[in-house]
Amino acid sequence: MEDKRSKVRSIIKSTQSLPAIPGIIAKLNSLSADKKASIHDMARIVSSDQGLCARTLRLVNSPSYGFSRVSTITNAMILLGVDVVASLCLSSSIFQIMETSVLGLWEHSLGAGTASTIIARKLGLSECAEISTAALLHDIGKIIIKSNFEDDYKQILAMVTTREISFSEAELELLGADHAELGGWLATSWLLPEKLIEPIICHHEVHKSSAHQTKTAVVHLADVLIKASGFGLSGDEYVPQIHPMAWQKLEMNERLLDEIVEELEEKLIEVKNFSMEIQASHGH
Amino acid sequence: MQTIPIATAEADMVLARDVRSPANPDGPPLCGAGVVLTQAMITRLRNLGITTLSVKKGSPLMEEDTRLDERLAALDRRFKRVAHDPLMLVLKEIHRSRILRDMGEADGR
Repeated sequence: MEDKRSKVRSIIKSTQSLPAIPGIIAKLNSLSADKKASIHDMARIVSSDQGLCARTLRLVNSPSYGFSRVSTITNAMILLGVDVVASLCLSSSIFQIMETSVLGLWEHSLGAGTASTIIARKLGLSECAEISTAALLHDIGKIIIKSNFEDDYKQILAMVTTREISFSEAELELLGADHAELGGWLATSWLLPEKLIEPIICHHEVHKSSAHQTKTAVVHLADVLIKASGFGLSGDEYVPQIHPMAWQKLEMNERLLDEIVEELEEKLIEVKNFSMEIQASHGH
Repeated sequence: MQTIPIATAEADMVLARDVRSPANPDGPPLCGAGVVLTQAMITRLRNLGITTLSVKKGSPLMEEDTRLDERLAALDRRFKRVAHDPLMLVLKEIHRSRILRDMGEADGR
């Protein structure tokens, strides 16, 4: 088991087998470290790659964020912050895989992003956009399994169906690590900011979060709520338990929960439309 | 009445509510309740940024998976592993009431 885990880890850490960091992102990272660089300079770099620019703007305009209309990368950077836009650029290749080959997971991720925006706004939290981005990315580990360990992915799905266990339980049994940990390895090797890495790693184990407990708690609750809605498909259909620490950290109560679910259910029709239009644009 | 993604809207569906511009929600409706949709209208509304429509019941596309017993059985399956937990039962009950309310509304029209 330890062998398998090490093998998976080394594959994720080796850059050859995964969507490589585009040169643009490396430039962006070095520019964002340079205090003299303006948002405008950085936006120009992203905008020089039309495909990347279009994919990133499409994500920013998805119902997951709830912005009215963001038409330029400069605006996206002002609204989300440079490092978050860089993370989205980086992940857009992963989302491209999702949109076409793992539609259910793509809808689950969009739904979780939407749920986390609703929760964060309802609770008056700061950094809503960062929280939604973390929620959009929370299951990237599953895409890595699907795209790099196809046989294991099939076996995990079979274990979920025949033994009625959760996707995470099957992953742990087969790979010695679950998608949260795998996603964390990937996010770390991509140098994503810690505020996105921690919610990805701890979205099932909120008690293991430290510096970003609130963000992690929101992403966890968003994941539970979207599974409760039955929207999209994340690998198994079982609604996970709401972690008591997340409930306390967010000072949730039953009335708030009811209001959030109500708002989410209405918004999910929009999310469905967004997903269907993207499918149509791919000619499915 | 049901609210549907505009991508699933079809000609001959009847609007159950006014459609308003997202940019000017307090302005005059783009299209009024009771209007029978045509393909050209659907395209125009999509181009105006409309993403969802409330239509009167009767769309065969949306009815397939909306049978009450099926929706409740799916809810039971989803909550199977947390059925012992009081907080999770609260969440389940919120969904159960929503489903019953939706179906009630649909039957009432």
